[in-house]
Amino acid sequence: MTGQNVNRAFLVCDHDGATAVSDDLKVRLGVLLGLRGYATEVVELGRSDAAPCRGCLLCLTKHPGECVTKDVLGDLVRRMNAVRDDSITVFITPVVFGHPSSIIKNAIDRGAGSRTLQVFVGYGEDIDEEEESTFIDLIARHRGSADIVHPGMEKEFLGYVTRSEHDNASICDALKERL
Amino acid sequence: VTEPGRKVVCLVNGSLRGRKSSSSGFLWDVSRRLPDSDFRKTFVTVKGTAADSYPLDMLRPMAEADAIVFVFPLYAYGLPGALMRLLEDFDRYVRSGNPHKTGASVYAVVNCAFPRADLTTGEAIRVVRNFCRRLSLRWRFAVRIGTGPVVALTRRVPFLDLTLKRAFRDIAVDISDGGDEPKADYIVRPIIPESIIRRIKEYYENKGNMVPRGRRSPKARSG
Repeated sequence: MTGQNVNRAFLVCDHDGATAVSDDLKVRLGVLLGLRGYATEVVELGRSDAAPCRGCLLCLTKHPGECVTKDVLGDLVRRMNAVRDDSITVFITPVVFGHPSSIIKNAIDRGAGSRTLQVFVGYGEDIDEEEESTFIDLIARHRGSADIVHPGMEKEFLGYVTRSEHDNASICDALKERL
Repeated sequence: VTEPGRKVVCLVNGSLRGRKSSSSGFLWDVSRRLPDSDFRKTFVTVKGTAADSYPLDMLRPMAEADAIVFVFPLYAYGLPGALMRLLEDFDRYVRSGNPHKTGASVYAVVNCAFPRADLTTGEAIRVVRNFCRRLSLRWRFAVRIGTGPVVALTRRVPFLDLTLKRAFRDIAVDISDGGDEPKADYIVRPIIPESIIRRIKEYYENKGNMVPRGRRSPKARSG
């Protein structure tokens, strides 16, 4: 386990970009998290559920942890803020030019991630080597002391890329060690 | 429609903060260096609405441009979600058979809150380069700005931010007669010392409850 009191998991998925591989991964991760004792909530976000971050910074300066945009994602952010130190978040996202999809990026930008452990699994059938490397490096930027912008946070970030159900099985095996 | 002798340039504002944004100021600075006599300019600003795709009248200017300049803030080491959606929709527009100008030059002006843009903006630039490769566009170079809000305030002061001014001038020159090989990026730093900017940042992180209890007022360890 990542911490003594960590027992909730949010599985955040891009509903609009779902594929057979991502659906398989979602099921496998749900089972794994359940076996590890997490109470898991699957959050399926579509375009109409997750407006982009407006960059107003009011969630930092005026009402911490609360987003001014009221939508499905805003509701998730509000709930996440209450359990941010006692939960983990797993994002399942299409890899678009080496970047999370806009829907999942909106969730990241608006603070839907746990402060304990965030796992990012990117998927896509035609991800090339440079896109995979960009995606992994982008996630690694947030990890512990590599996050030079926020050095006090010590968050754990894990990043993986999958192209097949076989990859999904390997990722779940690797995650067993970390959950 | 391309007019003879006039290049078509699409300037994309990737910030949702509108005219108040640093990105908007930088975009207008680039625009000022592109005279109407030599360039036909179109402007696209990302949308904050959730559900709809970008309309054709926002995607077509990008498809018709000889050069595209993306100006955007860095969000969590990546592109803002609103700009990612524009890139996704443009990709879909091209994949569904709509014509676009292959070989169009692409530039990125990215500004981040952190003073050392050379340490933070690398992956975001790689994403734009991947976008270019996928769509057969011609990547040119990036202008990577540290602590964008500070540079936005000081950029008009004579003899300050000379790298920024040189970079924007180079975008205009390169659109006119750039070569084939991508150029090196420009790195712009703010005039305010990094230690002061870090203190301001830490104040807001603590106030905004971004740092877990027991780890407040952290000392910067690297960078």
